[in-house]
Amino acid sequence: MNAPILTYVTFLPLLGVLAILFIPQRSESGKNAIRWVSMVISTLVFIVSLRLYFDFDPDVVGFQFLEKYTWIPSYGISYFMGLDGLAFWLVLLTTFLTPITILSTWTAITKRVKEFQIAMLVLETAMLGTFVSLDLFLFYVFWEIMLIPMWLIIGVWGGERRIYAAIKFFLFTAVGSFLMLVCIIGLVYFHNQQTGELTFNLLSLYNTNLARMYEILFFGAFALAFAIKVPMFPFHTWLPDAHVEAPTAGSVILAGILLKMGTYGFFRFAMPLFPDGSAFFTPLIIVLSIIGIIYGAMVAMVQPDIKKLVAYSSVSHLGYCMIGLFVLNRHGVEGSILQMINHGISTGALFLLVGVVYERRHTRMIAEYGGICRPMPIYASIFFLITLSSVGFPTTNGFIGEFLILLGVFEVNKAYAVLAATGVVLGAIYMLWMFQRVFYGRVSNPKNEKLKDLNRRELAYLLPLVALVFWIGLYPNFFLSKMHTSVDHFISQVKISAEPESPGAVLEHHASVDKTPLSVSAAKE
Amino acid sequence: MSDLGFSFSLSQLWQVAGGQIILLIAGLVLIFVDLWLSTDKKPDHVATMGWLTALSFLVALWHMIGTEWTLNEIVLVDVFSADKFAIFVSAIVLMAGIFASLMSIGYLRNNKLVRSEYFILLLFAVYGTIAMVQSVDLLMMFIALEVMSLSVYVLAAFLKDDRRSQEGALKYFLLGSFGSAFFLFGVGLMYGLTGTVNITKIAQVLSTGPLLENPGVLVAMAMLMSGLFFKMALVPFHMWTPDVYEGSPAIITGFMATAVKAGAFGIFIKLLSVTFTPILAHSGQPEFQSTVNLAALAVYWKPLLWWLALITMFVGNLVAVSQKNVKRMLAYSSIAHAGYMVLGILAANDEGRMGVLFYLFAYTLMNMGAFGVLYLFDGQEGKAQTLDDYKGLGFKYPALSFMMALFLVSMAGLPPTAGFIGKFYLFAAAIKEGYLLLAALGILTCVIGAYYYLRVIWMLYMVEPSRDVVAGRVGVPSMIALIAAALGIMYLGILPEGLSQVANVAQQGLAMVF
Repeated sequence: MNAPILTYVTFLPLLGVLAILFIPQRSESGKNAIRWVSMVISTLVFIVSLRLYFDFDPDVVGFQFLEKYTWIPSYGISYFMGLDGLAFWLVLLTTFLTPITILSTWTAITKRVKEFQIAMLVLETAMLGTFVSLDLFLFYVFWEIMLIPMWLIIGVWGGERRIYAAIKFFLFTAVGSFLMLVCIIGLVYFHNQQTGELTFNLLSLYNTNLARMYEILFFGAFALAFAIKVPMFPFHTWLPDAHVEAPTAGSVILAGILLKMGTYGFFRFAMPLFPDGSAFFTPLIIVLSIIGIIYGAMVAMVQPDIKKLVAYSSVSHLGYCMIGLFVLNRHGVEGSILQMINHGISTGALFLLVGVVYERRHTRMIAEYGGICRPMPIYASIFFLITLSSVGFPTTNGFIGEFLILLGVFEVNKAYAVLAATGVVLGAIYMLWMFQRVFYGRVSNPKNEKLKDLNRRELAYLLPLVALVFWIGLYPNFFLSKMHTSVDHFISQVKISAEPESPGAVLEHHASVDKTPLSVSAAKE
Repeated sequence: MSDLGFSFSLSQLWQVAGGQIILLIAGLVLIFVDLWLSTDKKPDHVATMGWLTALSFLVALWHMIGTEWTLNEIVLVDVFSADKFAIFVSAIVLMAGIFASLMSIGYLRNNKLVRSEYFILLLFAVYGTIAMVQSVDLLMMFIALEVMSLSVYVLAAFLKDDRRSQEGALKYFLLGSFGSAFFLFGVGLMYGLTGTVNITKIAQVLSTGPLLENPGVLVAMAMLMSGLFFKMALVPFHMWTPDVYEGSPAIITGFMATAVKAGAFGIFIKLLSVTFTPILAHSGQPEFQSTVNLAALAVYWKPLLWWLALITMFVGNLVAVSQKNVKRMLAYSSIAHAGYMVLGILAANDEGRMGVLFYLFAYTLMNMGAFGVLYLFDGQEGKAQTLDDYKGLGFKYPALSFMMALFLVSMAGLPPTAGFIGKFYLFAAAIKEGYLLLAALGILTCVIGAYYYLRVIWMLYMVEPSRDVVAGRVGVPSMIALIAAALGIMYLGILPEGLSQVANVAQQGLAMVF
């Protein structure tokens, strides 16, 4: 395994950008060529990333596929990439969702196709880079680069109030992440004071022992950046606006992958770097997550706009991910990771499905529909399956995720578990009620009578998602088995470090953390 | 060392001050070339003057990098020094000069200004700035400052028929003279107290004598600093900036915001580091070993710079948000950028000085680039000057708009651009010295900054055009300059190490005795 596969996967989309730059988009055939190039490249990325699946060793503690090159040596910044059990799945989710999303834009995006596809591919590179970076500087660079194409996708190709939504999305994220940069630098210099080593290497920085006050301060800043991205209540207000105004593809990527950056950030950075700060904030975050779960569901219930309903359901679903992460046991954390993937699949699919009818009718108001399972039976069945997944019906993926999370929460605090479980009930109410109003009954609106059912292209991007819904639902161990080691390691990192009585154990533990992945990769080479 | 007395050979003169000499000679020669070309009868020859000016800058730059950078004997008659710090700043100034002269060819043509004294003034402005940065003598510094200022005053008033240009230039002249007077007062006081105008000798006297107990030293320091704060346009010494920047020819505005500012920052850092900070303790010279006195001075200027940095960042960014005119908005944003750089000066460590040098370099690229696009949009029919005029230009002029977006993204400090790396260096330096709160507050003003920079981009790409705007013709020289700036920004954003190491060597040059 010498090939720098993570670099290939991350930067392959840019190759597509390069190709697209030279295709003129005056004619319809030019536009189609651009779409095909984009589609082929992103599919290729997915195929290359499958290689990761076969080479990923689930028993390795720490990171695999390491690549490390000096980048800015005077600041100890390196180009350092690697994967663990969480990043691995998120990378696959990204490479899987991107071609599906691009396929969905065939008829939805007809203006400025070239610019749109470039933005999508740049976005894919930035997202993948964020997930594989093990150097805080590199991570931050990808994290920020991601903002611009997403901002453009919402702002150029979005709906009526697109500019307001786009800038709100940008500013919310920027406030958090700029502050995070200050704290990253602060952390690096504290590490420098302790060890004399100036480095942005995440694995070294895990060993920093900060004063409790700074841990709380830095965790606060990191948590703000990530909580805005998740988004946790009360930082969620940008999300409904962004989702409603974004084009379908933008919403899918936003919900499917960008939101996971937040939970991923907690998992990778905020919690293991600042275990004391994490312990300090845990009660607050759990309470906010529960509020988010219930509040998101209640607000979703009363939305007249299907897309807004799905957007608020994201607030609720991500609340589960957060609470699962912070109960710090295996069930909770694995459930949380699985729920991140689930949410990417089912909410992504829901946005795609909303996009399908929106393209036909140019409205997303529930009241405009009704009884459309008669003209669109295949569409209705797929929508129903995804709805089941979203409400956590057994045999679908949503059930496994929510069940594991609730199990984890129950082990820690029964009251929390009961409160969080109400979200499942509320989720069933708003999803099924919406389904009933849109699909059942008589066709009340004559415009809906002649709606065309799904065509082959639409089936092509929806069916893989449906398949995954049941794959995870029926055989979750295929996914869970890859993350046991990483999750146990994560829990021990956050928990052991939180006990100040045994500094020796901390050091020993981290020393082993540092050495293992490197020696493994050396052995592989 | 500095006991050369008044005897020096011509070759020494050439080695230490060759860049200045080249510019002086070029300036004088170009006056005659201008007569010979008779540009007022043959408008096309203005372009020739522009190319010749750019060429002079290039030759001076080549001499500075090739000869002066490699020197060990760096002082000439206690007046000029070819220290690496000065050369780095001079190189930035020359680079800004090259950009300005190339873009001005198109600017003068598009605005039908057939007057080639413009380029000669530009040459003398660059000459003055370089002489100022290279001087180690406060009086020489003042004279060079005036050479620079007087040239720039005239350039600012170059649009004779535009009342804004006249108003701005007059304001600039009055307030600039005010600032110069402050500086001169400071020089006088310093001479009275220490008996010398050479900055290292002042440091020597201050660090050994009991003079520090004399409040006159603080008054002199305050006056020297305030004089420079005018030129650096720090709040509250910034009042002239918006009007002057808005009224001046676009390219001159870009030049003022980059070259003039680089010069002012250059001598400010030089003065502060050499005279008011115990940096010379690192030089190994015995007479500078006692650093206690100078270190005591930092107690006075550090809180001052702390507050100046904060209010400069806040006022610059906040007021820029409410601007409708893009040029005026960039003027306020340049105030904010000065605030970021003060952060690096305040840190007063190697990283900070290196960061300021890197940032000045990057800022020159992005600001000259932005003003280059700005003058083109402000070109022919339906001149685009306000934000509303920029609506929908993005897909009408894809290449220009993309570059504008790139320059603005860089100014907003987003990766992968030079602006991001520069800001990172500055904030890292401040955080290293423990200014965590100031850095956090400063970075919040960057969010405000990001808002108004992105607002231009969204006007370009996300809104339908409000009226017909026809951009000016993009000539070859402007195209070269714009592409160079854009590539430079991308390159430095991805591979900054090379330049930052050079900048680091340059700032170490400050710790040598002139």
